[in-house]
Amino acid sequence: MPKKLKEVLADAGISMDYESGGKSPAALTDREIMPNCHPRVQKLKDVFMQTLSSANSEFPYWYTREFVMHDGEIPVIRRAMALKSAFSHATPVIFPGELLTMHKAAFFRGSFPMPWLSEGYYMAKEDDLYKAALKSGSASADEHSKFGTGGGNVTKDFGKVVSIAGKFGMRQEEVPILLKLAKAWVGKSVDDLGHKYEQMVPGYDIKEALMRNVICMFDSGYTLPQGREVINYYYPLEYGIDGIIKIATEKKAEVAGRADGDGMVGTNRLYNYEAVILMMEGLKAWISNYAKEAARLADQEENSVQKKEYADMAERLQWLSHGKPRNFRDAFQMIETIHLGVLNEDAISGMSPGRIAQVLYPYFEQDIASGALSEDEAIELLELDRVVKTSIDCFASAGVVGGVLSGNTFNTVSAGGLNKDGGHACNRLEYLLMEAGMRNPMPQPTIALLYDEKLPEDYLLLAMECIKTGVGYPAFMNNQIAMTFMKEHYGPEGMNAEEARAWAIGGCLESSACCWKPLHLNGKEYFIPGGAGQPTSVGVHFLSMPKILETVLWNGVDQRTNERVFPAHDRKLDSFDVIWDQFKIYWKTSVDVLALTNNLQHDIWRKNNMAVLNSLLKPDCLDTGHLINELGYRYNATFNVESAGTANCINSLSAIKKLVFEDKMVTLDVLKAAMKDNFGFKTAKEVNSFSLADQEKREDGPGKYDKLHFACLQAPKYGNDDIAADQILLDWENWFTRDCYTYESLYGYPMYACQISVSSHGALGSVTIAGADGRLAGTTFADSSMSAYPGTDRNGVYALLTSAAIWDHSLSQNSQLNVKIHPSAILGAEGSRKLLDLIRGYMRKGGFHIQFNVVDSKILKNAQEQPENYRDLMVRVAGFTQYWVEIGKPVQDELIARTEYEGI
Amino acid sequence: MATKLNHRDCRNFAPVDVVKGICHRSKEFVQADGEQCEKFNLMPKCKHCHNFKADAKTPELGTCEASAHEPKFYAYPDMVSVTCESYKA
Repeated sequence: MPKKLKEVLADAGISMDYESGGKSPAALTDREIMPNCHPRVQKLKDVFMQTLSSANSEFPYWYTREFVMHDGEIPVIRRAMALKSAFSHATPVIFPGELLTMHKAAFFRGSFPMPWLSEGYYMAKEDDLYKAALKSGSASADEHSKFGTGGGNVTKDFGKVVSIAGKFGMRQEEVPILLKLAKAWVGKSVDDLGHKYEQMVPGYDIKEALMRNVICMFDSGYTLPQGREVINYYYPLEYGIDGIIKIATEKKAEVAGRADGDGMVGTNRLYNYEAVILMMEGLKAWISNYAKEAARLADQEENSVQKKEYADMAERLQWLSHGKPRNFRDAFQMIETIHLGVLNEDAISGMSPGRIAQVLYPYFEQDIASGALSEDEAIELLELDRVVKTSIDCFASAGVVGGVLSGNTFNTVSAGGLNKDGGHACNRLEYLLMEAGMRNPMPQPTIALLYDEKLPEDYLLLAMECIKTGVGYPAFMNNQIAMTFMKEHYGPEGMNAEEARAWAIGGCLESSACCWKPLHLNGKEYFIPGGAGQPTSVGVHFLSMPKILETVLWNGVDQRTNERVFPAHDRKLDSFDVIWDQFKIYWKTSVDVLALTNNLQHDIWRKNNMAVLNSLLKPDCLDTGHLINELGYRYNATFNVESAGTANCINSLSAIKKLVFEDKMVTLDVLKAAMKDNFGFKTAKEVNSFSLADQEKREDGPGKYDKLHFACLQAPKYGNDDIAADQILLDWENWFTRDCYTYESLYGYPMYACQISVSSHGALGSVTIAGADGRLAGTTFADSSMSAYPGTDRNGVYALLTSAAIWDHSLSQNSQLNVKIHPSAILGAEGSRKLLDLIRGYMRKGGFHIQFNVVDSKILKNAQEQPENYRDLMVRVAGFTQYWVEIGKPVQDELIARTEYEGI
Repeated sequence: MATKLNHRDCRNFAPVDVVKGICHRSKEFVQADGEQCEKFNLMPKCKHCHNFKADAKTPELGTCEASAHEPKFYAYPDMVSVTCESYKA
């Protein structure tokens, strides 16, 4: 048997036990608190657990059918007509026991393709369209992305079901129409048109090479053009559907034919308002069709309780198809409807509801006071919302949905933070939101707690209890750090201290610009927060730092494919400073060309595929008559540069600096030869494990690199409060966060840094050869940006936090730090207090984000061996929680390998 | 086009996913391709509509004769038509 790395190291006297702060108990330790949800919720959850991700062609059929009818029409009108038709014809489907209803598509967990964005990856792999997508690099990430093989993922064809994009099941009967619809968009989709024009960018060949070699993970323009933002429910809540139509109708009369000083797009306001009306008519028909279906079910239902629930649902939906919500149940259904509506408008991941307990509080407060609602009923609805949100799928390519998202769609809710006047914003409903999160543990919505020193202590301790259930939420985000970022970054667009307090998390942990709006209910005014910024899912996404370093060391050539990516630098790498300097040059070259090509993709999107529904919801589109494409949003500087593989790159640079240039124990050429030879080990693919510890020596592998490999593994590592490594991180962050401001989005605003990994660390690691940090070829990178590489944080959790807080986190949209803790380390009330102290300590040091996996690693190992016994096991991956069985093996291996803290 | 009808052709069938659904009558899971029962209630689909003209070469496709397009827009027999204003049983 070939030796595994951990055995090789043990022979050398180096332990690789991945436990810190003690030893875990020998017996399996379950999580501490396991509360139950309401029986109704459990029944629907049981349905979800048996549900496959399913897609059909209904929405794209009606969209395409209407779209082709209106050739020559003004683009925004044409798009709104297509959307109206698609919404109006969506088949309503209601399941027994639902109180909150409406679905993305006519399934419990349904979605559908949008070939107007991209059509290539729907094609069979032998199809010319697919081959073309592969050649251009847009399908390369798909090839290196792994889905979990369990849960609701349909990864293979079976019976009369065809697997599409490696995740979604579609009936065989629908495949011919999908292909026919897809082919109707050839040459017209955002992907195709964007590709046509992006080739005109100088240096486009570098962009193609970056994508083909998976140095950058994906183009956002045609994959996920919107998302990682906070929705705004204000207008439907304040005015209702008819009220919005009335506003748009009146505005149309005001602006028709008038430029009002804007000779470029002033007259567009007429078309935009007309598009708003068409869109709302489509939404009205959609809701009304559901009302009719509920009434039909009520008529035929024999069970009196269910019959009344259907009748109440029909009345509520009929009312909401025109009027504004009257009570808590109305308001909850309205925001659910609007949320699903927006998600049907575009391929969106990370459309966060924002601070829903603050948005719904006016209705809650008044219904509780009048006796129309009990707290238990409110919790039940909040539990049901978790079934609704977890059932949301986003139909996109395998590389995006599997490689990046792990199937999650990041409908994160935010809690806590400050109110408009600067007091804490924590209300009674926020406590119930947390309670529902514990009672019904499902991946979505995950909870982002906007930590501020003003938040009540009992609320924070309740959050500790929630974390201890092992659900992976709430994550803690630093309110003051985010507000500083908001004021600095969006200040030029008018963000002030009061408005900065409205911020919330969009996507998994993207700080997003929001605003306050006055909601009126029964004569009382409440200021509610809601999104006011463009998507932050846009820009340069998941640029692999370790791969850029690889190309620096090999003069611009990718070592997996031997393909030239960058022009040769031909520099003698005779000092650390030269390597560092060249790294920055290649980084800038990459970001520049990716930003320009992405700008063109998004430009096509905004011209032909602009958001209408999402736009009209966001201040100040309805007031100004300009949608997202004409800078109608209050905040538009949202495009960002997203890094990946931070810890591995910093550790590699640290090792090169120490071993090659300071200690001179090895020459750079020998180190490179060892890396290229994978230090004598097999590849991760050969071993079928993506964890470093499991890697195996080659039978014929040379032993000549063993000593060097040990030295690489023992070189200073980020996460130990060791300035030798942390200084490199500080230098990087100071340079990177400022460098982002030198690139401009298509909207004319500077970009900024975004530092999360989602699941890209699996796919990006799989294409990267061994690193100077000792990481072996094909193994998964460290997750996120501030997490340590598994097993390298050996000085305890407080040392990790000190390393992470060495730089100013308010210079970036976010940072991300995941910590795995054994349940026994935080037992009881004392454990809760210790956990809160740990979090508070990090926040006070200036850290932006921290979240926890409270789990015994032995359970994860068992779950990998016997997934059928762990359908409901949830883990925190990066900025999100997901079912274990729906995560790909590379990320599963990394989760098992993460350092487990046995004491804090 | 004469086709065998099953649960997924029934209005009592709430489709959970591509292979199964919940019957509104029994409240139980039923297989999408399972045979219809005595409470079968025909789900409007293009294949049952007088405006649907099947494609002679590809049975999974056809045209909607009610569409305003020239030539007539394509359609597919399995599409649910409960919301279609042109559906003619």
